[in-house]
Amino acid sequence: MKVKVNDVELDLEPGTSAIDAVFAAGYDVPYFCSQEYMSPIGACRMCLGKVGAPRKDRETNDWIRDAETGEPQIFYFPNLMATCTTAIMDGMVIDTLSKEVRQAQSGMMEFHLINHPLDCPVCDKGGACELQDRAYEYGAGTSRFEFDKRHQEKHHALSELITLDRERCIHCKRCVRYFEEVPGDEVLDFIERGGHTYIGTVDEGLPSYFTGNITDICPVGALLDATSRFRGRNWEYDHTRTVSLDDASGAAIMVDARTGRIERVKGARNTQVNLDWIDDSTRFGHEYVDAPDRLKTPLIRKGALLEPASWEEAAQFIASRLAVAGKRVGVAVRSDATLEEGVAAKALAEHLRGHAEHFPRPAASVIAENPATFTDVATSDAIFVVGDPTEEVPTLDLRIKDALRGVAPPELLAHGVPIADLRLKERMPRKRSILTVAAPYRTNLMRHAGQELIYPAGQEEDLFGGVGSGKAGASLAAEQLNQLKSALSDAKKPVIILGAFVLASAAATRAAEALAESVGAKVMKLGPMANSYGLEALEVTSDGGYADLLTQSDVLILSNLNPAQDVQIGERLRNLDLLIVHDSFETETTGLAHVVLPAKTGYEKEGTVVNLEGRFLNVYPAPVDSGTSEDFIGVVRTLGEALGVRLDGRSVRSARRSLAKTLNHDLAALPEEGLLAPVDAKEIGETVADTVAGNLLLTSSLLKVDRLRRNPKLRAAHGDVALRVNPADAEAQNLEAGANVTVNIGGVARSATIKITEDAPEGLMLLPATFDQALGLTSAEIVPAADLVSA
Amino acid sequence: MTTIAEKPQLISSRKDAQFEVTLYKNVGVEGAHTLETYLEGGGYKAAKKALTTMTPEAVVDEVKRSGLRGRGGAGFPTGLKWSFMPKPDGRQRFIVCNADESEPGSFKDRYLMEDDPHQLLEGMVIAGYAIGATKGVLYVRGEYYKSYERLREALAEATAGGYLGKGLFGSEFDFEIILHRGAGAYICGEETSLMNSFEGLRANPRLKPPFPAQAGVYGLPTTINNVESFASAVHIIAKGADWYASMGTDDSKGTKLYQVSGPAAKPGVYELPMGATFRELIFELAGGPTEPIKALIPGGSSTPMLAFNDETLDTPMDYGSIAKKGSMLGTGGVILIPQEKCIVNATWNLVRFYAHESCGKCTPCREGISGWMTKMYQKLVSGRGEAGDVELIEIMSRNIKGKAFCPLADACLGPVQSSLALFRDEYEHLAEHGTPKYTKTNWWSA
Ligand SMILES: Cc1cc2nc3c(=O)[nH]c(=O)nc-3n(C[C@H](O)[C@H](O)[C@H](O)COP(=O)(O)O)c2cc1C
Ligand code: SF4
Ligand code: FES
Repeated sequence: MKVKVNDVELDLEPGTSAIDAVFAAGYDVPYFCSQEYMSPIGACRMCLGKVGAPRKDRETNDWIRDAETGEPQIFYFPNLMATCTTAIMDGMVIDTLSKEVRQAQSGMMEFHLINHPLDCPVCDKGGACELQDRAYEYGAGTSRFEFDKRHQEKHHALSELITLDRERCIHCKRCVRYFEEVPGDEVLDFIERGGHTYIGTVDEGLPSYFTGNITDICPVGALLDATSRFRGRNWEYDHTRTVSLDDASGAAIMVDARTGRIERVKGARNTQVNLDWIDDSTRFGHEYVDAPDRLKTPLIRKGALLEPASWEEAAQFIASRLAVAGKRVGVAVRSDATLEEGVAAKALAEHLRGHAEHFPRPAASVIAENPATFTDVATSDAIFVVGDPTEEVPTLDLRIKDALRGVAPPELLAHGVPIADLRLKERMPRKRSILTVAAPYRTNLMRHAGQELIYPAGQEEDLFGGVGSGKAGASLAAEQLNQLKSALSDAKKPVIILGAFVLASAAATRAAEALAESVGAKVMKLGPMANSYGLEALEVTSDGGYADLLTQSDVLILSNLNPAQDVQIGERLRNLDLLIVHDSFETETTGLAHVVLPAKTGYEKEGTVVNLEGRFLNVYPAPVDSGTSEDFIGVVRTLGEALGVRLDGRSVRSARRSLAKTLNHDLAALPEEGLLAPVDAKEIGETVADTVAGNLLLTSSLLKVDRLRRNPKLRAAHGDVALRVNPADAEAQNLEAGANVTVNIGGVARSATIKITEDAPEGLMLLPATFDQALGLTSAEIVPAADLVSA
Repeated sequence: MTTIAEKPQLISSRKDAQFEVTLYKNVGVEGAHTLETYLEGGGYKAAKKALTTMTPEAVVDEVKRSGLRGRGGAGFPTGLKWSFMPKPDGRQRFIVCNADESEPGSFKDRYLMEDDPHQLLEGMVIAGYAIGATKGVLYVRGEYYKSYERLREALAEATAGGYLGKGLFGSEFDFEIILHRGAGAYICGEETSLMNSFEGLRANPRLKPPFPAQAGVYGLPTTINNVESFASAVHIIAKGADWYASMGTDDSKGTKLYQVSGPAAKPGVYELPMGATFRELIFELAGGPTEPIKALIPGGSSTPMLAFNDETLDTPMDYGSIAKKGSMLGTGGVILIPQEKCIVNATWNLVRFYAHESCGKCTPCREGISGWMTKMYQKLVSGRGEAGDVELIEIMSRNIKGKAFCPLADACLGPVQSSLALFRDEYEHLAEHGTPKYTKTNWWSA
């Protein structure tokens, strides 16, 4: 459709909003209530423009023309229009520059400011505030309002993580709409009316995993990240756009650091992955980086003690010990190591004639045959989830909810994501029927699903077999499974999502892939960590796997892994000739190590990861003071120097040269949305006898339990690690809600707090796994925690 | 400001012999709210006629031809509105009755519901049939408790008598009505807020389009009308469009319930053919003012006030004629403003109302009306006004006018801007001297 904005003519798709036409034409209008990826509501009335259009003569069906010029005559709307809620029409004329429009905008700006406290000098949003910017650009500079401003609560803790300053709120409703439209957790609303309107909750706190995003979209300093409040001004922060290494989604984040410390993490935009949204663990889970017990220098064992040393000393020490140690060498990195670190690990293992491995790594390959992208999920018309995406890959939870809205991700315009996508509405009906969620317990996502299937843990193979054959399986009725199969077969874009419980079994994964093929569905596999996909693609793998490496080596080099969490494994590690542990904190395993090397966290590295879609994404380091910490590239560089070799992966550049050969991609400076280049599917994995009995299910958790202790704010908001128990079981075993217990799983002792909930099925307790625990069914013994405090 | 009469003066018919009271025929009649009395007066015959002898299209056509325009204030042609409903597609459809009557100066729907509830129910049955809605929603203002009680009884009677329920009058048509009480918010009279409120949501107006016909109650096709509109439909079907269209003026047909409040001898509700003059209403029916009047508000508090002079008094009370004078027919609620009443104070009373009722969704209304405008009037009436205040009110009004999300903010500007235009001297006087030009305050003593 042809539209004219001021003096610029352009051609846009029907349905585009007038505000987007204005921006696409390169002009600006102020706006506060509109927000990308959310419904336009026309509440702030800032985006006013003078809008007109030609009209057709009913009889002749031709434009009504100006008698003199012969041009179609423009009929202006009697009032100025909110351009955000006005759809373009053919021949529409939009004026944003005239005196009338400017006057209206400046008048509206004045209304916005009359009750705003203007406490910019002490406001965290100052310098990055939409209200401040717009007031400068469109405001009159002075106010004629001479009365007392509205006084309201200035430090209202909406939750442990978010503080609300009610005086600063300009009632744009972005936060309220966000909760209803994006995660679907309606936890916030307006209370009271008229000039007394304020934002609030009915219950305590904000029961949702995705609350922090409201601090990003609040156009003023009303909603603030409580963990970073008063920590710095916006212009003092170093902003680093990078990728979250907390899960396999590859969500874009902005890391704001100041004087060597991460003060906050915000969501960043990746139009193909997380849009603008991140979960609360990704946002608030960074405090551990600055924990006081962070390892900052290498340590060398001198007798019973580990003593600080320089990297050179540590490397020399290692080189000298390698010369006399046994020949079986194992190198293992955690699965959120970058591809470049993977190259380094492989090169080191190769040089030492050993094996490289990454962990955690499920039994089955995480690379799918017919892979689905996030966009495929968001535009799917039949989604079958087996697992718990909310905990495993929270971004996926939100993208599934996009599909339920039934509105495809918007086409980008000249200025990017549309500001007012008129297809989106408040309180849209959701197409729940397209979503089926299966899991061994009640998951968060099931609240949004048309069908929920709760099956006995460990019976994933039966479940897929049942759906495929239309016979009863995994204790579910044939009819239910049949319906699901026809829903998938009848759909145009079916997607099957395989969570950790499926990938834990090669047989189940094979059955799932077979089902997917028979119904023509794409598959998304939820690998356990940020670079599970990449490290498998790079083949940082060994025949015997991690378990063999731990038992069959003389020398072990571990990066960010803590196998000695299991005391039985710890006993074996004591007998190693040489144990080198690269980690950011002391662990059970560093306690046994000969050499401990301080490791960079995911915020401090440069490199590349591949997310669960097969999308290559660059990771950038934020300026964090972490002493002499290094990533695994640094480990290999210094070791190489001590050994007198130049290993691949001694630097990011050298690793990328190698990667260019093995993976055929130049990974330097990838675009922000990354490079979507899924690799060919691998052998699914060997079918080993699956454990099918047990009383405990180790689950994924979006709150990373290993870090929770060092993330006090997140812990305060979400509580301690919970052992979820069904009420019947709790009664039978005499377990009380809130009681602290120790959960013994093999040689691993975990402490947890009892939470009694129907989410856990009878006979099965649920506990979030640590990074070093394999997910799935296991046996555990519960003992009351020793009461250390009592005299 | 409006004086609430103990008992309304019931309409005395016009002297014109041709004119007969229709809508308010049963109002004020003892026991008229019962089904028995309603049936005696020929009740539910129109519904029966529509359902058994007319197609839905024919009903819509009849109403179109009658020239009936919505009595909720905007005057949108009722038949045309009914014809906007999409073709039946199996989805539930709703007919909604807007009985939230809360505009100061309007009190016509109240007595219709209290004294003749069946007339309204019959109108809803007819409309439901016409648009293919098997469910009606009757949203009644929370404070109208007696209306609610009478409607509740009437619903029970009608259901028991077979006038609501399945297969009405032997036809295939099923119809039931859900009675819903508001909780005391003027904005709930705005049709989309009403739907939100009915659904249990916050009463904020919704974006239009989509209009209710496309997505109304629960996102389903819906038509909404005022109480008086439904009541009028009964008589249009009973006596025919031609009869109805024979009354009134070119652009305004039929009869209308006019209301008079303020210092009149007989304030109340009067039914007159459209196009009757203010003079007839105020002097002949309402017995004339009891004291000197300087202005009148023609159609409910949101309509701009007019100077009380011969020109105004001889204006026919129809849509077009009042619009020509720069105001609106609105709900036909005429408010008389005494000469001795300080206009700033009178306007402040209305500003206070709108400020209190603003929903808070949009900035100009929340901050402009509910915040700043309120404070400016407070300042003036408390005698602390200064030079420039009146001008500021004017500027602020311009910055709000036509820019709010829904018509509520502009509704407040109706009295503000018109009183400024007519009585600026009173504003200036108050701002300059700190005391009003008219100081009378003992309005309630005899
Ligand atoms: C702020 C506001 C308040 C309103 N209040 C009422 C009301 O109380 N009763 C009513 O019938 N219409 C009211 N309306 C008009 C309705 O929105 C709607 O136009 C009307 O119910 C349609 O019915 P009609 O076509 O029969 O007039 C109000 C409109 C606005 C903007
Ligand atoms: S004008 Fe705005 S704030 Fe006022 S009632 Fe309408 S939407 Fe609500
Ligand atoms: S009204 Fe707020 S952006 Fe248009």
